[in-house]
Amino acid sequence: MAATTMTTTTANVAAYDGTPRSSSQALRQNLARGARRLTRNPLTVAGLVVVLGLLLLAAFAPWIATHDPFAQNLSKTLQAPGAEHWFGTDEYGRDIFSRLVHGSRITLYIISLVTIVVGPIGLAVGVISGYFGGWVDTVFMRITDIFISFPGLVLALAFVAALGPGLDHAIIAIALTAWPPIARLARAETLSLRKADFVVAVQLQGASSLRILVRHIAPMCLSSVIVRLTMNMAGVILTAAGLGFLGLGAQPPIPEWGAMISSGRRYMMECWWLVAMPGAAIMMVSLAFNLLGDGLRDVLDPRSE
Amino acid sequence: MSALSLSLSGGGMRHVAGWSHRLGTVAVTLLGLLTLTFFIGRVMPLDPVLSIVGSDADQSTYQQVYLQLGLDRPLYVQFGYYLRDLLHGDLGMALLTGNPVTTDIARVFPATIELATVAIILGTFAGVPLGVFAATHRGRLGDQIVRVLSLFGYSVPIFWFGMMGLIIFYAWLGWAGGAGRVDLAYDGLVQSRSGILLIDAAMAGEWDVFRSVIKHITLPACILGLHSMAYISRMTRSFMLAQLSQEYIITARVKGLSERQVIWGHAFRNILVQLLTIVALAYGGLLEGAVLIETVFAWPGFGSYLTSSLMLGDMNAVMGCVLLVGLIFVTLNLLADALYQVFDPRTR
Amino acid sequence: MKMPKLLGTCAIALSLMAMPALAKTPDDQLIVGISMTNLLSLDPAGATGNDVVEINANLYDGLVELDPVDTSKILPGLAESWTIAPDGKSISFKIRSGVKFHTGNPLTAEDAAWSLHRVLKLNLALASPWKSYGFTAQNVEQNIRATDPTTLVITLPEPTDPRMVIYTLGTSVSGNVLDRKKVMEHEKDGDLGRVWLTTNAAGSGPFVLNEWRAKDVLMMTRFDGYWRGQAKMRRVIMRNMTESQTLRLMIERGDIDIATGMSVPDIEAMKKNPNAVVQAVKRGNIYYVAMSVKDSKFADKRVRQAIRSLIDYDGINTTVMPNYGILHQRPVQMGLPATLPNPGYKLDVAGAKKLLAEAGQPNGFKTTIRVLSDPPFINIATNLQSTLAQAGIQAEVLPGTGNQVYGAMRDRNFEIIVGRGGGGAEPHPHSSLRALVYNPDNRDEAKLTNFQGWRTSFISPEINALIEKAEVEKDAKKQIEMYQEIQKLYDSQVGAIIPVSQMVDTVVMGKDIRGYVGHPAATTRLREVTKQR
Repeated sequence: MAATTMTTTTANVAAYDGTPRSSSQALRQNLARGARRLTRNPLTVAGLVVVLGLLLLAAFAPWIATHDPFAQNLSKTLQAPGAEHWFGTDEYGRDIFSRLVHGSRITLYIISLVTIVVGPIGLAVGVISGYFGGWVDTVFMRITDIFISFPGLVLALAFVAALGPGLDHAIIAIALTAWPPIARLARAETLSLRKADFVVAVQLQGASSLRILVRHIAPMCLSSVIVRLTMNMAGVILTAAGLGFLGLGAQPPIPEWGAMISSGRRYMMECWWLVAMPGAAIMMVSLAFNLLGDGLRDVLDPRSE
Repeated sequence: MSALSLSLSGGGMRHVAGWSHRLGTVAVTLLGLLTLTFFIGRVMPLDPVLSIVGSDADQSTYQQVYLQLGLDRPLYVQFGYYLRDLLHGDLGMALLTGNPVTTDIARVFPATIELATVAIILGTFAGVPLGVFAATHRGRLGDQIVRVLSLFGYSVPIFWFGMMGLIIFYAWLGWAGGAGRVDLAYDGLVQSRSGILLIDAAMAGEWDVFRSVIKHITLPACILGLHSMAYISRMTRSFMLAQLSQEYIITARVKGLSERQVIWGHAFRNILVQLLTIVALAYGGLLEGAVLIETVFAWPGFGSYLTSSLMLGDMNAVMGCVLLVGLIFVTLNLLADALYQVFDPRTR
Repeated sequence: MKMPKLLGTCAIALSLMAMPALAKTPDDQLIVGISMTNLLSLDPAGATGNDVVEINANLYDGLVELDPVDTSKILPGLAESWTIAPDGKSISFKIRSGVKFHTGNPLTAEDAAWSLHRVLKLNLALASPWKSYGFTAQNVEQNIRATDPTTLVITLPEPTDPRMVIYTLGTSVSGNVLDRKKVMEHEKDGDLGRVWLTTNAAGSGPFVLNEWRAKDVLMMTRFDGYWRGQAKMRRVIMRNMTESQTLRLMIERGDIDIATGMSVPDIEAMKKNPNAVVQAVKRGNIYYVAMSVKDSKFADKRVRQAIRSLIDYDGINTTVMPNYGILHQRPVQMGLPATLPNPGYKLDVAGAKKLLAEAGQPNGFKTTIRVLSDPPFINIATNLQSTLAQAGIQAEVLPGTGNQVYGAMRDRNFEIIVGRGGGGAEPHPHSSLRALVYNPDNRDEAKLTNFQGWRTSFISPEINALIEKAEVEKDAKKQIEMYQEIQKLYDSQVGAIIPVSQMVDTVVMGKDIRGYVGHPAATTRLREVTKQR
């Protein structure tokens, strides 16, 4: 949401003040140094652990879940957390723990799909725009401006209203609103790289523009784009949950965490667990992604050394 | 977010040309935004006619309203008419309230401005000291705590926090007022001058109403301000770190100035302009959170107006809102740019 | 930055917050929390939805009122008395003299006639019942006339049951009598005051509209010159509140007096709260499962019957519907003399499977259920989805707003819909049958979109003929028999709309509220409401 889109791009531009001589070398350097420094910060490690935990949870969901997440049992509705149902049951008597566990798959599905769509598109638009400049740049940047000059959630809201509610439509809507910051970032990076010595050298060797973009410039932008995408994931989770809260995201009976809050809020006063559990899950995962992204940025930003 | 700050950083000589170019860009952006919204609105599976006549109306009534709204004309003609009216300052009628959209927006917008302003004040007053503290305690426990705190501000689902807040502070503790801007019994007692209830109540000397407004606004503003607090504290920290590593700070320390003087008198002074731009940008960002928070707190502002118009397919209202939000965003960005250009020596 | 100052600010904020809550609404003001999402217009000619009915019932007066306890009892309003001509072709109303509008203008039969003319001339949503009685913009001036300042004569252009017309006058917002002079002062481009009346009112009711801010708040103050005598409450404030939890919190804390539209869990909690009173109000509308007969699968009567056996009536009505509805399986609303006892449909998976096999669908099929995303609709659909699956029918639930769901239904573009409808404000079988069953022309081009029967494409010439005959039958006993015959036919022919439950509205109020009687036709009058403290 707003939070992640607000991180200024200036910091990342400055990251490349000392331009490395070649892209692959830089990447290797960065990775080795990064891994070491990444694990030095306990907060980043905590974020990493939670994200890994989420991945494991999603991978082994059917074995971890204690119940069928869709099985209704009208005789055991709204039970408080206890030995049989660790996180209690919902209004249809479904086990909340199992729904949360299976919901982790939905969460991963949303963020990975959005990231897969947004990363390449943002990168491509930004790199092309920055490298060629001129009218290509003008057109792309005006389009980016249009998307950026509007709050992401509201735009996503409009898109979902146009497409109709549903998980896949929500993903499309989020992706449509999430690419511009990435494009802007990639463009800024490209601008600072365009005149770099190694790029000029390759140009003099007669390499095609496509080759320069794909082999030399895009990889250099990759690390900051990845950081940005990681920071974005938290925002994606929150936007998806927000859409779910307004009834436009995943629809029942899908155990998406935001949708669980949305349907659980009718029972919130007596049955706090209906809302508190999925809310806490959203917060934990999004905090983990933020910690991880933050740690990554520290590692890749030489200014913080 | 800092939409225009990168693409446009003109030098002093090119100021005038830069600004006219910039305004042109703004116009193109807003036009693009309008076009986008207009066509989104038209493909939406929501039927404004049905919203007006109700689902049980017969065909002759339906057809009559359909024609009244001019929906039989081709899309580009409808859009053309819309733009023509827009140039005359007419945003059209909100189909569903029967008022001109400008009237509606003038009515709902102050509520959001009031909420967002209190939120940004709270966010700034909490965020700046936290950021300075983190910068001066860099790498130590305090820094980490501030970092977690601000990341927490980024990570919490704002609507969820709003609901929890209502339960704890309104239902259990009774500290905060409930939904709405003011206790219902006070509604309409104060003559609306600015539309900002705090100001209106103070001007009328209605201190009971004033207190009630404070009770109602504090909780949603705190929750809304959480995001800006997170953002501002992080930016303050990084600005401060940049300053603290500068030569002049070392010189100041060598000269024997107290740590407080160094931090607040020198480093902080130098980041004020940057901070101002950040606060301006954060203010725009609050509009987004307002959509969700207004739903939870039944706040009769712009966010609720936008969502309910959208759900009913009232496109004139939606377009008016979109135009306004776009305008605010772009203006705040321009303002941030201008501040930067005027005050920051490096961009001169 | 000055930290002490910051702390000071916080301290002030905290001390302000810690002040004791007001906790009680003022003694002479009634504060009501309702959802205004569907409140778009106050115009008696163009308003839709139930919320406006309750509001206008207090801003305006009608010629007659229906008793809230026994709705078949017609009480005098602006009309002191009325007589139906022996041939049943006209009704004449004696209008009370000395009644004044809020403006001070005297109210005459002319105003009453003009108000009805206006409804038909504008041809907006509420013209619908009048058009079904045969009135048109052209013939209305000739058929609805003020013969003198105290006499209004309504001549029926087509034979119909005059009682239906009186019921419509008593229940529909279109029966509100408008201050003609006041309205015409605000006329623009010959719109008969349509734009102005959307957000303003010009009536003679017990309350005067102060201000209505759409989706926010509506305020009214009592009218001192009201002909029945002043209302007890000085001021009524209706506040838009869509969140049930918020409503509940505010009732618990005494910040509002009356809450409508609360969700079941909150209502259940309020029933246990000693400071709150829960009042259930039966409405004439019916929750139903409807199929499109245009779809080849549901054209087969056996498939429709199978679906009818795949609804868990008991389960739905005991788990989902409490506070929303009561088990009801007839297309005519319950409580009328003509209404037959429920036919006793039950969930019968084996029987349904057999029927499906006979119809050549032994393995079931795929279908979709369109449904409003709000409770209880979505809960009924979720339940239906699981029982259909037991017979091998894979149904996908497509939730949407009312606009989307009923829009698709009007376009005849659906397979199954879980919805609500049936007119039903008028306590007369014809009202429900007209809305749910009657379909005089099944062609797509006919576009009889206001008839839900047409929307499902279900047509039975036999039933149509009976409905038309019963409407003009003057012998009450014979008429009842005909209506019962229709219900039997509808059952044996397996109509496309399967009633599941009859609507109940639940109102929660503070225990000090006296005299609030929720009206089945939503025309709840607040003039007698008081607070006992």
